Amino acid sequence: MLALRLTRGGRPAVQLRRLLVAAGSAGTGFLLLSALGYAMSHPDSPAASSLRLAWCVPPLAATIHLAVAVARTDPGTKPRPGLAAIGLGPARLMLVSATTTALSCTLGSMLALLVFLHLRGDLTGMPFDGAAAQFLAADSPLPLPAALTLLALTPGVASGVVAVTLRPKGIGTSGPYGRFGVRSSQARPAGGRAAVAAPVPQRGGTPQARAAEPIPAPAETDGTPSTPGHTTDGMPDPLTPRPAPRALPWGITLLTAGLAVETYASRAGAAHTTLTLPSALPTGPAGVLLGWILTALGLALAAPGLVHLCGRLLQSVRPGPLRLLAGRGLMAEATRIGRPLGVVCAVASAAYAMAPLSADRASATVGPLSTLAAIVITGCTVATLVISAVEARQARADTTAALLRLGAPTSMLRRAAALRVGALLAVFGPLTLIVAELAALPLAN
Amino acid sequence: MVAPPDNDVLWARALHFSYDDGSPALSGVSLGVQEGEVLAVIGPRGSGKTALLRCLSGLSKARRGEVWFNSVPVHTMGPVARERLRRDRFAWVDPTPALVPELNVWENTALPLMLRGTSRRRARTAALEWLERLDVGEAARKRPHQLVQAERQRVCIARALAPSPMVLFADEPTAPLHRSDRTQVLRTLTTAARSHGVTVVLASHDADTAVLADRTVALLDGRRVNTVHLPPVPEAEGRAACSLSA
Repeated sequence: MLALRLTRGGRPAVQLRRLLVAAGSAGTGFLLLSALGYAMSHPDSPAASSLRLAWCVPPLAATIHLAVAVARTDPGTKPRPGLAAIGLGPARLMLVSATTTALSCTLGSMLALLVFLHLRGDLTGMPFDGAAAQFLAADSPLPLPAALTLLALTPGVASGVVAVTLRPKGIGTSGPYGRFGVRSSQARPAGGRAAVAAPVPQRGGTPQARAAEPIPAPAETDGTPSTPGHTTDGMPDPLTPRPAPRALPWGITLLTAGLAVETYASRAGAAHTTLTLPSALPTGPAGVLLGWILTALGLALAAPGLVHLCGRLLQSVRPGPLRLLAGRGLMAEATRIGRPLGVVCAVASAAYAMAPLSADRASATVGPLSTLAAIVITGCTVATLVISAVEARQARADTTAALLRLGAPTSMLRRAAALRVGALLAVFGPLTLIVAELAALPLAN
Repeated sequence: MVAPPDNDVLWARALHFSYDDGSPALSGVSLGVQEGEVLAVIGPRGSGKTALLRCLSGLSKARRGEVWFNSVPVHTMGPVARERLRRDRFAWVDPTPALVPELNVWENTALPLMLRGTSRRRARTAALEWLERLDVGEAARKRPHQLVQAERQRVCIARALAPSPMVLFADEPTAPLHRSDRTQVLRTLTTAARSHGVTVVLASHDADTAVLADRTVALLDGRRVNTVHLPPVPEAEGRAACSLSA
């Protein structure tokens, strides 16, 4: 109930984000159900059906990526001093977040089921009744358990991932990154610098509220080591910087390895099994696809490091206040902005590489399902990038307010933001194009 | 409109201010600040000290009343002009140190100077000098998260003093500190301001601050009063008297 109340109280922008998650989930659910329909109408070719099911993984991953980004930035389920005081700490709010995510995703899945049944002709009374009856195997009854399993996939996986991502510090140590991307490490000398982790009180809305803030107490007591960068009540310490991303070498290695695998496979693999992809997707040896996946992974891994490098270059060589603020800001937000940016670049380069190849094969046309999948993937990744940018902006709101109190001109802050965007475009635009050209090269011959 | 007295660097008349939610903050406060003096604005929490400082420095616009700075009306200025005034003439110290986390200490200190257009090298020299004066010189290359709160607050004060402002507004600069740190921070602030002729408007809920100030203005519930004299708290109000004979 609390999740519902918190959901209802959101501002329109927040509701829009949740609706985006629902839309992504609806698209993914419909693609999964279509794979089921294909399997039902082609019972003699399980390989092609499972290939179609496997092609639902990218939209699913994009939807979950979006759901996690939305859950992270959801103001309704952020740890708040007021809620922590009545016992709704980060652990309970994690559950609320997971429930909210499951709610939006289930809404989308239900929508997908409705559209699916409608297009099959099971539900009547609206236009396009049974428009795709033959394709979706309307003559055979729908296996309900299969449909429900497929539909429960998105809400289940999404809320699970959200719960793991937003879990309070100290509960599990499986992943190195927690909320807001802070790397957790328990290897801190006790005492000594205890005041570093002292909670910096959040600035209240009114000066009265601010004046009533508690005096910060040392966050570290013997026996219960707290995580650096987090105050005792689970809120992030705005001063503690995130560590610089270190995955750049790995990313570049994967990227080049992917391109190499792809080239090698296209040279040697003419005799090997060719993977015929549904719709107008390019056909090629399986090794090429493996290479593409490695390339995309490498791009996503390398992006935070590249963003950090961008910021470092921007603030190098005797910077004035503009370049200093722009560059250091980019360095501080490298992890947050870099990951979704890398994913967007990977998607963009894949689209750029596929477009000419698909156009060559005039025999096959891009089907509606491929279009839907492309829309879901691009929409979700771009929305994730935008939401991450909003999250970064929210996280820097205190700093911006302090700068404005210093008398920093608003125009200069805007120019700093524009400089950041320009630097990112200047680096990532050509990079995407180069990767796309290299990826398309082997198949074009 | 009455012209302000000539010897006051900052002059306010009948300031009325209320927050966005309608809660009243100031109701008719008038005061003048002379050049080079340290003025303490004393009052308990919620008495309108921060609102007064925000109105005087042009951060907020008073609902009614006038603010004059060096015979220039601040209350009629637009947002851009007030922004420029804050950048070029005023400095502000927050109750909790608000440093830019991704800049190191000397860059934070030099930022207001660089925003005014001073060259990087001169800004750096001035910043390092002020950090040295405020006893945080050895931390100049550290990041804010590596310092303790009292050091951060001293960096904030160095940042406010480095561009040699005409008026320094300090809004409870010692609120999050222990008593020993509190006295040291306040003393360094007032000494540095006096030696450089900086006018200081210092808000504090602590009446002991008055010792360090040249003059004290007391606020209570958004009004200026001569002494903050609250009625004594009756002992054990509402508690049933326990007596063996009753």
